Amino acid sequence: MGRAATWETWKPDPGNPNQHVAMLVDTSECIGCKACEVACKQWNLNEARINQEPGTYQSHPHLDAETWTLIRFVERTNDQGEVEWLFQKHNCMHCTEAGCVTACPTDALQYGKYGVVTLDQEKCIGCAYCEQACPFDAIHVDRNPFNPRAQKAGKCTLCYDRITMGMQPACVKTCPTDCIKFGDRDALIEWGRQRVEELKARGFKNANLYGVDQLGGLHELYVLLEPPEVYGLPANPKISTWTKLWKYAVQPLGKLAVGAGIFGLAVNWVAARRAFLQGEAAGHGAGDHAAGQP
Amino acid sequence: MAARKQQIRKFTRPQILFHWVYASAWLVLVLTGMTFLWRPDPHSPAVGLGAFLQGSVGQWLRLVHRVAAVALMAAPFLWLALEPRRVLAELRELMVIRGNDIKYLLVAPLHYTFGRPPLPPQGKYNGGHKLNFWIVVLTFLGFVVSGITMWFFRGVVPAETFRLMLLIHNFCFWLGLGMGILHIYLTVFHPFTRQALSAMISGFVDLKYATAEHAEWVEQQLRSGQAEVREVPAASGGSD
Ligand code: HEM
Ligand code: SF4
Ligand code: SF4
Repeated sequence: MGRAATWETWKPDPGNPNQHVAMLVDTSECIGCKACEVACKQWNLNEARINQEPGTYQSHPHLDAETWTLIRFVERTNDQGEVEWLFQKHNCMHCTEAGCVTACPTDALQYGKYGVVTLDQEKCIGCAYCEQACPFDAIHVDRNPFNPRAQKAGKCTLCYDRITMGMQPACVKTCPTDCIKFGDRDALIEWGRQRVEELKARGFKNANLYGVDQLGGLHELYVLLEPPEVYGLPANPKISTWTKLWKYAVQPLGKLAVGAGIFGLAVNWVAARRAFLQGEAAGHGAGDHAAGQP
Repeated sequence: MAARKQQIRKFTRPQILFHWVYASAWLVLVLTGMTFLWRPDPHSPAVGLGAFLQGSVGQWLRLVHRVAAVALMAAPFLWLALEPRRVLAELRELMVIRGNDIKYLLVAPLHYTFGRPPLPPQGKYNGGHKLNFWIVVLTFLGFVVSGITMWFFRGVVPAETFRLMLLIHNFCFWLGLGMGILHIYLTVFHPFTRQALSAMISGFVDLKYATAEHAEWVEQQLRSGQAEVREVPAASGGSD
């Protein structure tokens, strides 16, 4: 089938898992209504968590194991001296180079079809390596020592279960302003670039498209009105050097060294038996041992 | 056989108890910690045993890791409580690295493979014991600091700190595992040095062996009259 002509006409093609989808949030159109948050909770059967901090309209302080999408409110005074809100629908970015997948010791996190980073909670052991490796704070494991069943990572799945059936993600479907778009990634990038030009022409001189190149390309794109940092998004996210050293240097070198060591000991065993066991009595002889026997 | 052989006491009961509590906890920690090492390539599924250590199995292993970690951390205090003076004396002995220890370490790989060149005379602990001691102490500290941080301070410390702790824990693992394998090999499998194992079981080690390996210590023990020597039938081997 190849690539869809426009993002809207994208359909899953099991024969071509390399076609990449994306979600694009046009933040200039977002009204901060949080319908997407509710749709996400509902479809994914995640519990409602009431932990709003006073003095903000943001529903939760951050994402958590049962809260997979969140409208982050940035309240600020703009150039004209007016107080304004910027909204960013925050969730897993489905990175091409994902910190979480790099760190996951099990098969729970995988690079799945269509560019989606999939999470299989059955396999998850709740170690939270992913939580600590993600550059976007987008995946979490509850702190719940008494209930192993609750100790599972949770994050946006890009509604893998829906999109593989040809449906749109729950949040996309529900958004009243249609500011969340879903479909073929290349086509969405094209759309996003045009939208940025349009916004610039209308005076939003800082408008930009986020997610095209970060970490090998995110599958969550944003048309932003201000530079990414204003939204708390890293302009140049990276997988931590510690994580890379841990995964790609210390682990393989450690395995190599221990393997080589065991081989060395096997060789030693063969040689030492010849050196020390010739004539049991003499071999144990202490006096001549110190003098350089046998 | 009527032949009898002499043994000399090397370790006390509390020290032996401490050794084995520490060793068992360490072994459990190695085995449960290995859960995390079966996914070398993030672009592919887990390999080998990895397929069996996922989901609830892995969750249980993580729990066992923590229980064993508590035992490991408690073990030194157990020994300290039982015979504090001796612990300090032993530490003093183990901590100091002398010229002979370095010479020992340089010669030992050849000596224990080919039987020559001869080893420089050693005290109660030889250069190898001291190397083992230092690696155990340093990895212990590394494990405790990084392990406790990952266990209790996830989300409290910055993510970058957690990532560094994971790196430290992993580094200590390979260092400790390598030393541990060598330690077990020398005391259980090596044709000559395996005679030392009895010291950590009954407390006594063959006097001839001790004289060969720890000449300075044996001499000092005999001279000072501190030596606790006993005779056992030669056929009973080293262990008791
Ligand atoms: C002394 C106290 C120790 C504590 C508190 C501790 C705790 C931890 C914690 C919290 C983790 C992270 C995974 C999880 O949450 O389950 C971990 C991983 C691990 N532990 Fe320990 N541990 C200790 C000692 C040891 C020892 C002695 C060994 C082995 C010699 C060991 C081997 C490992 C390994 C191999 C991992 C996986 C590391 C990785 O993924 O790179 N630990 N430990
Ligand atoms: S945003 Fe975080 S959780 Fe999502 S794929 Fe990237 S690293 Fe993983
Ligand atoms: S918590 Fe689960 S998903 Fe996250 S790294 Fe550990 S096993 Fe993988």
